[in-house]
Amino acid sequence: MDIVVGVGDMKVSNDPDVVLVTYSLSSCIGLAIYDPVAKVGSLLHYMLPESSLDGSKARENPYMFGDTGIPLLFKEAYKLGAKKNRLKVIVVGGAQILDQKGFFNIGKRNHTLLRKMFWKNNVMIDYEEVGGTVNRTIRLEIESGQAWLKVSGIGVKKI
Amino acid sequence: MKDIERIIREIDKLKPVSHIGDRIMEITSNPNSSLAQLVNVVKYDQNITANLLKICNSSYFGLRKKIESIKQAVALLGIEKVASLVVMGSSAHNFKKAHSGYDLKEGELWRYSVSSALMAQDLAERRHLKSISLIFTSALLKDIGKVILNEYVGDSFEDIIKLVQDKGLTFIEAEKEIIGIDHAELGARIGERWNFSPPMVNIIRNHHYPDKSPPNDLSIPITYLADSICMMIGIGVGSDGLAYRYHQDVVDRLHFSDTDIQKTIANFWGKFKGIEELVNLSQGD
Repeated sequence: MDIVVGVGDMKVSNDPDVVLVTYSLSSCIGLAIYDPVAKVGSLLHYMLPESSLDGSKARENPYMFGDTGIPLLFKEAYKLGAKKNRLKVIVVGGAQILDQKGFFNIGKRNHTLLRKMFWKNNVMIDYEEVGGTVNRTIRLEIESGQAWLKVSGIGVKKI
Repeated sequence: MKDIERIIREIDKLKPVSHIGDRIMEITSNPNSSLAQLVNVVKYDQNITANLLKICNSSYFGLRKKIESIKQAVALLGIEKVASLVVMGSSAHNFKKAHSGYDLKEGELWRYSVSSALMAQDLAERRHLKSISLIFTSALLKDIGKVILNEYVGDSFEDIIKLVQDKGLTFIEAEKEIIGIDHAELGARIGERWNFSPPMVNIIRNHHYPDKSPPNDLSIPITYLADSICMMIGIGVGSDGLAYRYHQDVVDRLHFSDTDIQKTIANFWGKFKGIEELVNLSQGD
């Protein structure tokens, strides 16, 4: 059964029948984590890097922002028995419009924020495909931990 | 290079926006238009009126009072907005089907169109622009060219994407290079055939080229920025991806900072549910 993670949303599951999927990642980042022992997976689709932009929006929906969504993604997986040292971590998205530079390059800022947080917290990335101008979709099978990346117009691959 | 004339002849296979669309757009492009004129156009069509009222009562607008007449709708939302909604309520038919050439599933092109029209309207209101309904309807219908070009893009996708990847062309430049015409130009030709106003045809033609607009006209830059923000969020983005040009000078001209853009994105999140309702309520006619 597909459970769709919407834009600015996060879902966690340990149900082997579930496939978590998030569509149409452009400048947003899709972050998937999976513990193969506990068979727990979670998937986040955040839109913007920092919640300091709008504190009330972040309280209303912490999954909209990377700095509030990422810690919650891990915490929710830990609640279902996932352990940090066993996690497979996948990062996709962060695309940009051609010539989008500096602060206006939200895709790049979304990705930079994640790298900084992972560096500080010692999280290693197992698979990463970010940037470019493409639109991506990611699926994560809870039973096997198998993930699939679709790049619109190009095709689907196992990751 | 395809036979452009053959592509253009396909315009006649499309069902025009709606049988009252051109008259509504005439009203909205006239600053002196009145409620009576609007009512006159729609009153004989119960479907359009009923649908308009459903749209006005949708959660997107969050009105406390239930709207039961066009007069009431105009009093609460203004004539321009109501007229735009009449166009929206009756122009979905060409957009709603799947457009596999652009890798867009059923409903995605329409969701994109509605989202970028609402976004453009919001940005235009924030900049206190006139002609809000012109901007709304242009943003709504700007990708009508994709409806026809879809098949050709599907057939030539590998050649198009090769130019994007290898030569750094935008998707629209590559469309023109390979097919001979791009979706914006084709959209403008459709607009001309359907008697859209010249400013509207101009916005459709140049919605990816905001640098071509005269300095005192912000309608194209606003439509362009709304489109770019929707792309960043990932609404209705297909195989063309984000392979379009970002014009920082145009964004600067509109006085939108990076924080303004991020706030617009954050605010838009709260509107998703309402937009979904609008997308489902708008029908063909």
